[in-house]
Amino acid sequence: MKKLLIVDDAAFMRMSIRNMLQNYEIEIIGEAANGAIGVEMYQKLRPDVVTMDITMPEMNGIEALKAIKAFDPQAKVIMVSAMGQEGMVKEAIISGAKTFIVKPFKEEFFYQTICKVLGI
Amino acid sequence: MADIVEQDSQDQNEDTQKGKFLTFCMGNDFYGIEIKYVTEIVGLQPITEIPEMPEYIKGIINLRGKIIPVMDVRLRFRKPFREYNDRTCIVVIEISEVSVGLIVDSVSEVIAIPDEEIVAPPSMAKEGNRYIKGIGKVGTDVKLLLDSDKLLNDTELEGLSEL
Amino acid sequence: MSEQYVNEPMLDLFIFESMQLIEQMELLIIANEKSTTYASEAINEIFRIMHTIKGSSAMMLFNNITTLAHSMEDLFFVLREDKPPNVDYSELSDLVLEGLDFIKVEIHKIRNGDEADGDASELITSLRVFHNTIKGQDVKTSDLNSAQGTVAPETRPQEKQHYYISKVRSETTSLRNTFQATLSFEQDCGMENLRAFGVVNELRELVEEYYHIPEDLDHEDSARVIAEQGFTLFIKTDHSLEEIHRVLIQTISLRDLQLIQGENSELFNDLKEREILLEDSPVKVPTAFRDKVVNEPEEKEIQASAIQQSIISVSVAKLDQLMDLVGEMVIAEAMVTQNPDLKGLELNNFEKAARQLRKITSELQDTVMSVRMVPLTGTFQKMNRTLRDMCKKLNKEVQLQLIGQETEVDKNIIEHISDPLMHLIRNSIDHGIEMPSERETRGKPRLGTITLEAKNAGGDVLIIIRDDGEGFNKDRILAKAREKGLLQVPEDEITDKEIYNLVFLPGFSTNENVTEFSGRGVGMDVVLKNIEAVGGGIAADSVPGKGTIITLKIPLTLAIIDGMNIKVGDSRYTIPTTAIKESFRPKMTEVIVDPDNNEMMMVRGQCYPILRLHDIYHVQTDVIHFTDGIIIMVEQDNKTLCIFADELIGQQQVVVKALPEYIRNTKKVKGLAGCTLLGDGSISLILDIGGLIFRQSA
Repeated sequence: MKKLLIVDDAAFMRMSIRNMLQNYEIEIIGEAANGAIGVEMYQKLRPDVVTMDITMPEMNGIEALKAIKAFDPQAKVIMVSAMGQEGMVKEAIISGAKTFIVKPFKEEFFYQTICKVLGI
Repeated sequence: MADIVEQDSQDQNEDTQKGKFLTFCMGNDFYGIEIKYVTEIVGLQPITEIPEMPEYIKGIINLRGKIIPVMDVRLRFRKPFREYNDRTCIVVIEISEVSVGLIVDSVSEVIAIPDEEIVAPPSMAKEGNRYIKGIGKVGTDVKLLLDSDKLLNDTELEGLSEL
Repeated sequence: MSEQYVNEPMLDLFIFESMQLIEQMELLIIANEKSTTYASEAINEIFRIMHTIKGSSAMMLFNNITTLAHSMEDLFFVLREDKPPNVDYSELSDLVLEGLDFIKVEIHKIRNGDEADGDASELITSLRVFHNTIKGQDVKTSDLNSAQGTVAPETRPQEKQHYYISKVRSETTSLRNTFQATLSFEQDCGMENLRAFGVVNELRELVEEYYHIPEDLDHEDSARVIAEQGFTLFIKTDHSLEEIHRVLIQTISLRDLQLIQGENSELFNDLKEREILLEDSPVKVPTAFRDKVVNEPEEKEIQASAIQQSIISVSVAKLDQLMDLVGEMVIAEAMVTQNPDLKGLELNNFEKAARQLRKITSELQDTVMSVRMVPLTGTFQKMNRTLRDMCKKLNKEVQLQLIGQETEVDKNIIEHISDPLMHLIRNSIDHGIEMPSERETRGKPRLGTITLEAKNAGGDVLIIIRDDGEGFNKDRILAKAREKGLLQVPEDEITDKEIYNLVFLPGFSTNENVTEFSGRGVGMDVVLKNIEAVGGGIAADSVPGKGTIITLKIPLTLAIIDGMNIKVGDSRYTIPTTAIKESFRPKMTEVIVDPDNNEMMMVRGQCYPILRLHDIYHVQTDVIHFTDGIIIMVEQDNKTLCIFADELIGQQQVVVKALPEYIRNTKKVKGLAGCTLLGDGSISLILDIGGLIFRQSA
């Protein structure tokens, strides 16, 4: 099974994503509540794909993305965005995010996006 | 999704229990209570009295750690009290998450009584009849079918709480 | 999400987390509004909080909350980025608190299973107006608006959606391939303009030149245009059709791709001639983010993970389950070690093992109970908002001092304390603390003080609310009580303290003009009821002119108590040991009977009423003479009672179980607090001392 790391400061979002993927062949190997922990967990756990919230305390999603990409240029990161974050999403794309999804998103769409990113 | 599935099996359960009654006897009369409300039947247990309760509420019992109040159905129907013996049973019923044990002379059997065989009770002002929901015909016998809800929640009780 | 199965835990978490964030934000606002500007850390945090609430509510499709949160987030974005110099922070605070109140109300509706149907449009308009006022102060904002894609529409020329092939041109020789690609994205994938941007970003390395339609991917309409009409790219590259196709087909959220090779670069030249914004460095990133480069990830990481490990959140349901199981275990342990089968047997090794078991069970119990204990901090902090609102509305100046907020109380009880506390504080500010000018004429400091203190006292927690206001008006209270026929003690015998406590009687309210905040419907009697519902008590004291003290006494926990089991005939009762002062076998010389046949006990010169348990509860017993039985002296709320029973059975920790609902619905028996299972499986009724004392005095 492919391994996924959730990075989001909202416990609610972490649970939502976990719930959405529970019926699919994707294993949630970790949850990080801020970018810094996200980077650390990426290095330790080496997930196949990461969902990254953009706005977080300690280290935001863009910085974490850059740090992860610096560590692993092949890293597959999906940015999770809300409306009105165009500028940051753009920077994320430039910094190497594979793609992004916008809240609210549906389970099926989310799963398809992950599959596309993983190439399955 | 889980919710819907659960509801389905619950409905199914209720369907298979519909029209089935647990019958017990009190004196010369046979009564029936819908099986879907019955959670278990136990023999007589030591009863701890609770002060200031109406006469028909005998007290509480310890059922494997759960505390259940018990009601003497004879006294509830204002019939003369009969000493308990080794045939006396407690029928535990549960309605809307409230549990009560009914002390009855003895328990008989579970019978299915189709709707067509149930008629409305005679509208006499007699005491016991307010708790009868209907009269079920089984062969040549009749079973007085209890209205469990009324048995537990009769407004008569509200007056008592003011005491 | 509407197509998905939204389950309870998610909704619970949404509610829990959102409320927590709202409380955090409230504190920030109240702390900051007094200064001339909001601290930048506060602005950042508030921005993040609004952003999170926006996102979560969007996922749950609570759109009215989402749009309001978005407006508030926008506001703080401007504050953060522009740092406008002239902001009316008082007005800002009011607006924002109003916004939070709206969201709170919606969440309460959601919690109760109702529709979140509130309309925040008026508030959003006010926010927008405020937003425009502060935005106008700084020219930089126009850049950021385009990046955000939110407010003011750009003054750019209208997008040309199509191009027309004009006359044929002679082309310059070039070996480069020209391709035209038209991409369409999956429906509702969101931010199509940025997806298009992503495609461009992918191709930049591979192509010599490129143009695209729509040209301006920052334009607020571009997303919609692309969603409706697709995204068209013209590229000139050395790479082959296959290579370009391979890159493009990997685009995430791609619905359709059409890639055709151009014959010549005619298309290009044509397009080149039009004024197109060539996006060399297509990123118009708000400067803030560019600056936030990762500087010291190492340090931060370690710090962050340290905090992460020390706390986890657990569902209360699981804790309750754990509590129940431990409770059952206590009973089961008693059933084993005190089993009647073992009576009279000499079992030294068994006794030793049983003691060890007892020790471990006890420790386990203590630990589980401590898990459910929650500090009063959250509850106390909430009072800041209440205080702030009351002061603002009534133009009073009061400060709140908190002492002992680390004091812990059972989670189940905490929920019942907020409302009473809130009411008491409101009352204090409304009726207790005088207007600032009046305070000055009385020689008091202009700023009034309310002290909220919590401390442990035996098996209870005391919460004391002290104010330095004008105190209770004895005469007015007496008059009101007299008028309403609430006096139970003859007026000449009533003590001051008793007078003050009259305010807790139902039907009481001295204030003639029942104010919006305290008075009708939310009287002191309701406060009392709420406190009694958790087994606590309340008392008032006052010094006219100086202030008032209200003391709440709350039991530490409801679940397991230390009890003394007693026997009356065949019945068993349990008395909470915290209420027991002493027990002894009475001597007839100590018993007095008054003319009304009331029996009383003389103990060290003091006289106390005797309560015969077998009498009041009609229990059959042979022990009727005092000298055959035992007296247990109990005390509650400074009133003492002597309970007469057959004998003491023993002291033990008992698990409090409520009397069955059916019994409680039938009648609430005064003097019974609940029941418990003894070691031999029998049931013991737990006595409520307060109730018994009440019976006795009636």
